[in-house]
Amino acid sequence: MSRLGLYAAALMALLSTTVHCQDSGGTHRAEGGRPTGMAMRGNVLWLADSPPARGDGPPRSGMGGMGGMGGMGGDRSGPPVKRLWLRAGADPQKSGFAREDTEATVDMTLVTPQGKPEGEPLPPAEEGKKNLSFEMPTQGYYRLYHTTRKLQGDTLAIAVAKAEVTNFSHGATEEERSVALTAPRVLEAAPIEIVREKNPGEKLSFQLKSGEEQAFVVLQKGLPLLGARVRFVSHDGWTKEAVSDEQGRVSFQIVRDYFPSWDDFQKRFKATYLVIAEASAAESGRFKDQPYTNVRYQATLGGTYYPSPDDYRSYAWGLGLGFAFLLFCGTAVYLYRRRRVKPFQEVRFDEKH
Amino acid sequence: MRSIRDAVNQVHFNRFRFWFQLAAFVLFVYGGYLAIDLGSRLPFFSCGYNQEGRAGVCYLLPLQHQLGRPWPMLFTAAGLSILTGLGIFVLWFIFLNKGWCGFVCPLGTLQDWLTALRRGLGIRYAKYSHGQFKQMTKVKYVLLALTLLIPLGIGGGLWSHDLSPPFCLICPARMILPAFTGDFSQFTIDFSSKTAVVMTALGMMVTALFVVGSFVKKRFFCFICPMSALHYLFSKLALFRLKKDGDKCTRCGDCYRVCDLEIKEIADEVGKRDIMTDDCTLCLKCVASCPEEGALKATFAGITIFESTEAGFVRRMNKGHQP
Amino acid sequence: MNASPTPEVPAFQRSRQARESEITLDHITDDFDGNPAAMQYFYDLFRRVFIQGEALPHEGKLIGTTCIQAPDELIYAVGATPVRLCNGSYHYDQIGADFMPAKSCALVKATLGMLHSATRIPKTARPDLIVNPTTCDQKKKSSAMIEGMGYAVYDLEMPNVKESEEARLYWQRSVRQFAHKLREVTGKKLTRQNLKKAIAKTSRAQAAFRQLHNFRKSSPAVILGKDVFLITNAFFFDDIDRWSDAVEKLNAELTQRQAEGFKAAQRKAPRILFTGSPPVFPNLKLPVLIEEAGGVVVADETCSANRMLYDMTAVDEWLVNDMVDSLADKYLKPCTCPIFARNDDRKRRLLDLVASFEADGVVYQALAGCQVYEMEQKSIAEALNAQGIPMLYVETDYSPDDQGQLSTRIEAFLESIKTRKRKAAA
Repeated sequence: MSRLGLYAAALMALLSTTVHCQDSGGTHRAEGGRPTGMAMRGNVLWLADSPPARGDGPPRSGMGGMGGMGGMGGDRSGPPVKRLWLRAGADPQKSGFAREDTEATVDMTLVTPQGKPEGEPLPPAEEGKKNLSFEMPTQGYYRLYHTTRKLQGDTLAIAVAKAEVTNFSHGATEEERSVALTAPRVLEAAPIEIVREKNPGEKLSFQLKSGEEQAFVVLQKGLPLLGARVRFVSHDGWTKEAVSDEQGRVSFQIVRDYFPSWDDFQKRFKATYLVIAEASAAESGRFKDQPYTNVRYQATLGGTYYPSPDDYRSYAWGLGLGFAFLLFCGTAVYLYRRRRVKPFQEVRFDEKH
Repeated sequence: MRSIRDAVNQVHFNRFRFWFQLAAFVLFVYGGYLAIDLGSRLPFFSCGYNQEGRAGVCYLLPLQHQLGRPWPMLFTAAGLSILTGLGIFVLWFIFLNKGWCGFVCPLGTLQDWLTALRRGLGIRYAKYSHGQFKQMTKVKYVLLALTLLIPLGIGGGLWSHDLSPPFCLICPARMILPAFTGDFSQFTIDFSSKTAVVMTALGMMVTALFVVGSFVKKRFFCFICPMSALHYLFSKLALFRLKKDGDKCTRCGDCYRVCDLEIKEIADEVGKRDIMTDDCTLCLKCVASCPEEGALKATFAGITIFESTEAGFVRRMNKGHQP
Repeated sequence: MNASPTPEVPAFQRSRQARESEITLDHITDDFDGNPAAMQYFYDLFRRVFIQGEALPHEGKLIGTTCIQAPDELIYAVGATPVRLCNGSYHYDQIGADFMPAKSCALVKATLGMLHSATRIPKTARPDLIVNPTTCDQKKKSSAMIEGMGYAVYDLEMPNVKESEEARLYWQRSVRQFAHKLREVTGKKLTRQNLKKAIAKTSRAQAAFRQLHNFRKSSPAVILGKDVFLITNAFFFDDIDRWSDAVEKLNAELTQRQAEGFKAAQRKAPRILFTGSPPVFPNLKLPVLIEEAGGVVVADETCSANRMLYDMTAVDEWLVNDMVDSLADKYLKPCTCPIFARNDDRKRRLLDLVASFEADGVVYQALAGCQVYEMEQKSIAEALNAQGIPMLYVETDYSPDDQGQLSTRIEAFLESIKTRKRKAAA
């Protein structure tokens, strides 16, 4: 039955599934099985659910923007497949594919609802393909971590690009959701990460809308990190910086930066934001047999947001038109009944006594 | 057994129906809060836009959505899923036939409540003339055709997706039923595109018309409901039926008198046994108001479950007696 | 006029007119054994009204009706009393002959004769209004004549076809206008309360009648047709509540009779369905003859009995507008009067009555001059014969002269039915 519910869900709420971000550039593994790093072309790596060439914007199909999710609607066989691209650069629109960096070590970990809580390594992308893809056979949250470690002098740079993908069909229950939310966090693979704070009343079909306030929590090794510099980058590249508090929390208002002419306006326009958190710590250790005394942490989280319905839906007009027409019809019926003496019904009776 | 049958046949039918409808309304408008989900192939307006409270979804919503897929998809497995969907819909439908309209449909129940309000205010109801009736009764088929063809056009890329699902956008249930769970978000005009403006404005106007119309005219909307037309296509298969024994009929017109849909055949037709017409909502008020023993009856899979009796009639029409 | 009782027999009681009624009533009471005790009310009522000439009281304005098509409920609602003027007296028939051509319906002539007479029996006050539904030609034409006698007459317009929606609306309009007229006459208007009460009054009477009607299905019969005709004739002028009480009392007695296996007629008595022109007291000649000859009238389709009381009103919304239209529908749609252009409903009704009352034959009375019944005779006979039901067509009038000849024909008819039954049983 849950499948049946899907169409409905898709239509009405523009999607039962929220996609926060994505992954991947191509990751390769060397022949010995050790991953080789990707180059950091910009200084920021992040996971997006669209490749740079195609860019963001309106959904490709008319299926309520579900194109990327596949498998929805039950018309294809097999579980839905999610594709993510690793991109470099701090501007959601301009950043290109990440290039390979041979000096860095890369770990890719996928945490699935049905799998081990500490996650499993993600198999490398198929030859010649730039995206990372994984199946989502069960409902819940899927998190992909792309961790790069690289020594720069005496500083170890650890960059964690994270994508969180939700796969909830309409029939998903709150229980499934809370199970997914309370799953333990991975520590080893991702020493730092950004978590989008979920509102307690948030529905499974949640979509972030411009104009809303959204909080993020920076976790370092699973604990809230105080004093991290957090940067929010909007779809058009507008940025704002804040510092996390003792709960590791920082919150931004999602600015509206989509101002097309009315004819071009798309209410399902999918904009991408990027959150980058950075922190340094005086930790020492060895990496690839080289000592280091400082660690520079960087975490990224991409996400999407949509135009706010408040921008294009109007209660005033809706109710105004409704009441005006109600009044019109009511008056018309009243006058019709008052004035028109039907040939067969000119005698009327008073219902009052 | 006999006493049970007498008790059923003498029931205060309007009272029974009121409570039944109320229970069905609560189930389908608020059942979702109890995690009831009866799927999305329901043969009545359990509106899918009522996301929180609905206990199932009206079939017209997924049907339009399925038909709105790109054309090549219609000829793949997806096309098959349209047929299975229709199959499930028919299975639901044949169980109660149009009784879904008369007893379960939340929008139908709302119309009956508006009627009760008008009655309470002592305002007489409106009637169509015979000529108007004949014209109006076709509207439902036109709406059904549009409900099925417009999505095909959308899937073929002829029209904007903002037109989808066309019937739902103008159906008053989209506005009204979510409002019962406190969701007034449908009472808006969507200015995101020209099509959206037109469709949402139409939706608001139809909603206003619905309120005025069903206030003055009993079951105003049922008369033009495309679901009703869709029902009629499958009514030959139904288990729940309305039967008439023409030999016992005196053509007194009592059934026609109480019919919300002004169906003249119910009184005048004495040849046909299966008397349900396309406008009928199978509310069975006619059976309850027929004074001839067994002239009208409701049967389920051939078994009579409610039939007209003289004693039942006398009991039910006994309004003015002072004890 | 001296209403006080005198020891001598009053003049009226000695009149030929009273004698006519007395003969009929004596036949009804004395020729049969085992009359129900509850019938005494009706025997006494007829004796008082028709033989002793007792005056009938009424409440509010008195509205005379010449046909069952005038809605009694509206009259009761405005606090007036309806009285049905259709008359069955040979005495008045002869007086009325001055108004109508010789070959006219006895019932219309008797009604005119009664209205023309100084003493009107049943002795009611002078009607404040006479409602004359425009049914058959003879009744239509009496309007002007009654008006000429100094009465206020209201023509209640009836359509000639009843199947069409237009006719229905036309009739609803007529009934609405009639209600308007009643308001003018009585000064009282229809309200939800008074109309609801009036409908309850008549539906109680109808429910009682239907119960009585259903008793006649039992075989052997628990009540004879002559008694039922007497009862329904009393409905013409009796107080409706008292009438309902008496019928309910009779029904209680019949329930007991049925339980005891009482036989009002022989087990093998041919069961007769009576149709055609209405038997109106004292002209109960034909039903009485049938039952004296050993038959039993188990059902009827006439406007002095079944058709007057059988069809009940259904109301959807108990508002004045809807109640009035409901009443209008009840008075038009089920009506099987032959004045309508088509009469398929009458055929179906007769066949249904034959089937549900297990009638062995049909007696069709046509009052000489009652053209519409005369004209329908052939088609009804064909419809019945197609089902193998024998029909006896009797053309008669109010004169007692043809009694001998009629009883011979009836006996022969009943005998033929018995023979058929014997053959069928063998």
